[in-house]
Amino acid sequence: MSRLRTQELSLGYDDRDVVRNLDVVIPDGRVTAIVGANACGKSTLLRGLARLLAPRAGAVFLDDTALADLRTLDVAKVLGLLPQSPVAPDGITVADLVSRGRYPHQGWFRRWTDRDHDAVTRAMAATGTADLIDRPIRSLSGGQRQRVWVAMALAQDTDLLLLDEPTTFLDINHQVELLRLLRELNEESGKTIVVVLHDLNLACRFCDHLIAMSAGQIVAEGAPTEVVTAALVEKVFGLSCLIVPDPVAGTPMIVPA
Amino acid sequence: MSTLTASTVDTSAALKANRRRREARTTAVLVGLAILVFALLVVTMMIGSFRIGALDVVASMLHLSDSPGVDFVVRDLRLPTAASALGVGLALGASGTIFQQILRNPLASPDFVGITSGAGLAAVVGIVVLQAGGLVVSGLALGGALLAATLMYVLAWRDGVSGYRFILIGIGIAAFFDGLVGFVLSRAQLFEARQAMHWLTGSVGQASDTELRLLFGALVVLLPIAMLLQRPLRALELGDDSARTLGTRAELSRAALLGVGLVLVAVAVSASGPIVFVALVAGPIANRLLGPATGGIVASALVGAALLLAADLVAVHLMPTPLPTGVVTGAVGAPYLLWLLATTNRQGAGG
Repeated sequence: MSRLRTQELSLGYDDRDVVRNLDVVIPDGRVTAIVGANACGKSTLLRGLARLLAPRAGAVFLDDTALADLRTLDVAKVLGLLPQSPVAPDGITVADLVSRGRYPHQGWFRRWTDRDHDAVTRAMAATGTADLIDRPIRSLSGGQRQRVWVAMALAQDTDLLLLDEPTTFLDINHQVELLRLLRELNEESGKTIVVVLHDLNLACRFCDHLIAMSAGQIVAEGAPTEVVTAALVEKVFGLSCLIVPDPVAGTPMIVPA
Repeated sequence: MSTLTASTVDTSAALKANRRRREARTTAVLVGLAILVFALLVVTMMIGSFRIGALDVVASMLHLSDSPGVDFVVRDLRLPTAASALGVGLALGASGTIFQQILRNPLASPDFVGITSGAGLAAVVGIVVLQAGGLVVSGLALGGALLAATLMYVLAWRDGVSGYRFILIGIGIAAFFDGLVGFVLSRAQLFEARQAMHWLTGSVGQASDTELRLLFGALVVLLPIAMLLQRPLRALELGDDSARTLGTRAELSRAALLGVGLVLVAVAVSASGPIVFVALVAGPIANRLLGPATGGIVASALVGAALLLAADLVAVHLMPTPLPTGVVTGAVGAPYLLWLLATTNRQGAGG
């Protein structure tokens, strides 16, 4: 059973197709990683899934309805996205930013309700950003800032959450911290999470389901332990390597040859 | 990072306090600004060659006075100018902050992105070439502003309108129109050139009854719409991707906001001529009063009105000889612009 899937989906910019004819199924209640070399179309696919990019052909289905047939506001109640480089208005504070995640749940005239308040409280507690409430975003470290953005996406209170390379500007410690957080969120609330990642080792370690892409096509999908092989890494990244089990978790670990 | 109940309770209380504080500040600022604007409005009508007490002014405005002399001075002589300063200030303040927030740049006020220049060119052509005056010039200015904005929107469009392209094209268009204004002026007779220059400096005293009616009509319709559009604007501030993910129809909201901001600035310029810097400074001042990233359109409109009423007081009553309002706002605004350019470059945030 899957709430989010695509059918013969083609996406592109200007006159260039980036991904063509993709049939992707995002498993419910799991953490899915989309991996691949630079410019393989993984972020494009994520943007298509989040309706930021209209399909050139085919469709994305959310609960068996094509995204294009749904109202923007209704999509926003079910599906959230943290973009690759989100923009924070100058001087905005953490509490204000996280509160803006409540947008799709508020009407034109409705005031801030207890439900909004509770969602923001939960999001900040879950992301460990509660003691940053009055701080301006600008004054935060990269790791803190990313957690605040995740808190905003959580405040949106959606069943599906997509994240576009959330670990890119973080050091290894904060990368692991963020992925642990996503894992926790998934385990505690059953949220379906899709994350575009660069680091294959981290993807194997923290995700249930892997979608490996190359040149706009899906090369492999499935549980990391089943799909990650030296041949796959060679094909996707052009890197010859050995696969050894991660000494801690037993998941596949890539060691360049 | 685990979710402890105790910490959640603390967070909840802290968030509630934070929200209460922000709401209280917003209310205080709005009430304070409204009082200030009203006070300035009354003071403007008190002073002049014939002094009138504050209570008499208010009584006359509310049609409660029984002195025909006071009524004549207040309602017929002073109210049009005061109302024009109020209306033009409100419109410029609201419009300026809308443009700055949509284009995410403190420099993106309508003064700089060609809209005012479009109005100026049309008006100067009207005065110099067509020898028109009064309402025709205002109508032309309105048309010029709308034309310049349409031109910018079309030129800047590429799968949507992005901030930087819009601003750069706007600055280019402003330079082009200003050049044409100079050309037309250099061909003009002395009398018409003086008239055109006077219009270009901007003065709240030059609005006619019809222009005022148009201005206030636009304000009554567009300010409430702008207040409603504040909601999608808060989402748009986070960038288009986030705005869409949050459920905004980004392009539609932006077009609506630009439309509202554009018509507001166009009617303001057609009523008073281009009064510079009010639209540029009102938004940042309102933000400073309300707290960072609050971007209140109403607060900015009130700041605009207060600024313009104060500038008119200074221009007409505190100077040895009465000056056009635009001279005073320019003299106050230019240092601010320099400061803005210097600091944004240092932070590398915009500019």
